[in-house]
Amino acid sequence: MKSADSMLNEELYQEYLKALLAGRHKECREKVQMLIHKGMGIKDLYTDLFQRSMYEVGELWENNRITVAREHLATSITDSLLNLVYPSLFATARTGKKAVVSCSVNEYHQIGAKMVADIFELHGWDGHFLGANTPAEDMVRFIHEVKPHVVGLSLSLLSNLDRLKHHIEVIRADFPQMDLLVGGQAFRWGGLEAVRSYGGTQYIPNLERLETTLAEA
Amino acid sequence: MNQPVEKEILFYLHNRAPLLFFVLDSKGHIVEANEHAETVTGIQLRGTPLADLVVDFSGTFNPGSFARECHKEHLLNIKTRWGLPQSYYFTFKEVRNQVLVFGRSDAEEIEGTRGKVQSLNEDLNNLARKLHKTNAQLEQLNRLKDQFLGMAAHDLRKPVSAIVHYTEFLLDEASEALTSEHVGFLQTIHSSTALMRRVIDDFLDVSLIESGRFHMNMAARSMEDPMNRSVALHRPVAKKRGVTLKVCLPCPLPMIPMDDFKIEQVLNNLISNAIEHSPPGGEVAMALSLTGEELRVAVRNAGEGIPARDLENLFEPFEGGQALKARGIRSTGLGLSISKKIIEAHQGRIWAENLHEGGAAFCFTLPMSPQNPTEQDP
Repeated sequence: MKSADSMLNEELYQEYLKALLAGRHKECREKVQMLIHKGMGIKDLYTDLFQRSMYEVGELWENNRITVAREHLATSITDSLLNLVYPSLFATARTGKKAVVSCSVNEYHQIGAKMVADIFELHGWDGHFLGANTPAEDMVRFIHEVKPHVVGLSLSLLSNLDRLKHHIEVIRADFPQMDLLVGGQAFRWGGLEAVRSYGGTQYIPNLERLETTLAEA
Repeated sequence: MNQPVEKEILFYLHNRAPLLFFVLDSKGHIVEANEHAETVTGIQLRGTPLADLVVDFSGTFNPGSFARECHKEHLLNIKTRWGLPQSYYFTFKEVRNQVLVFGRSDAEEIEGTRGKVQSLNEDLNNLARKLHKTNAQLEQLNRLKDQFLGMAAHDLRKPVSAIVHYTEFLLDEASEALTSEHVGFLQTIHSSTALMRRVIDDFLDVSLIESGRFHMNMAARSMEDPMNRSVALHRPVAKKRGVTLKVCLPCPLPMIPMDDFKIEQVLNNLISNAIEHSPPGGEVAMALSLTGEELRVAVRNAGEGIPARDLENLFEPFEGGQALKARGIRSTGLGLSISKKIIEAHQGRIWAENLHEGGAAFCFTLPMSPQNPTEQDP
């Protein structure tokens, strides 16, 4: 596996970001395919390209520099590019551990949570991803079915904090000992104290921290 | 409204507002248009008939008659510079021999549709993720199955071989001391265990093929050697069934890269199938020919031929076996698929065809000069 720096230099990253913001999905796909072909590791691809560019797209939107439509287009392109990684991602050796990752009700930004589920897969876990806007009852039913070791919850908009808290409470009612991971861009604006008040709940600010946490697990 | 305010509003409507605005003359030609209309259509609009901008499948567009229904909105599709038509709700109003045309897009509908498309796209991507994950799980299960198959076959082969050898020994050495009924028992044990060993060998081959460990020992050889060995092996069975074996070799045969033992395995499979499908008194003919860059081998039988529906899938695992089974012939159903893998590993082709004169031919080709012939995994 080659280091990320040797393949994804700043110039290439900026070209990718420009194509992403312009909606040139074929160009983005070609760049990602080229990086995969050159042997760039999945973790580096996720952190140095997908995560970095999506953080930047999010900031541009928050600062009213791009429209919500453009932000959604960039997200859709990135979401589809994850499919390029899956053939090798799911082929990694299995540890037998399971995680369920989900977005709460009214949360329509799924890509961060999906990348979290993928990082679980990269570490040999079964990373089940339930998608955006998942009702708490559906999630709990799935947790009963799969019996995961960890549940991950994503929050993109701070205005949905109460819904996330509801999800945590519903999970805690049926699974008092379940390890919970929470993360998402919403926590840059607050809400951490509210989430930390629930025992056994850990905040994961980014994919790098998730990597470290899983490596230590 | 005072004049400067009115002027600003008009300026905004004309230069900034995302709506379409046209002034038409009495013939329906554009006299004036706003900035947004020019941006959307991508053409110089002055003098252009409005009808040229409208996608009008029914040919009923008429600005004059629309202007007489000035209270009504008309949904029309406009040709855009992006290639795809765009829908606008238009109102037409006649003012002093001119027609004012205003077009608005339905932002609510567009946003709603965009949201739904995005949600469908997410569902599709999530389903693709599930599919990739399930595929990986199935591949893992398949590997485990092959591993189990390989281990089971490997462990069974030795005891089954021992039974075959000892039965052969008893038939050779002790037949005279046994009753004919007991000799018959031994012959049944021998033929059953020989079949069992063939099944085990096929399973071992499949296990090696699937794990990518079915290696070829390529060396320059003449096809004559594996052909002679295979024909010699099958002569007793053919004789017993009243089938004649006929070999036609061109002279001289070239030396070509092959794993001759694997090719012999293919020939054994094709010749034994051909004998089993030939009626008593029939003939199985092996013909070798040189065509351009290839050596072609054909094994013909004078049987009933192959039903058209079986021809296509004959070389798929168990499919060939089903066809043979239907004729009451015992087979593992793996022989032809293994043969296909071996021939493909030699960069050749294998196929079956029915003959005009009756019967069927199983053919394969081997290239005279394969690319990178030293070691090929199927």
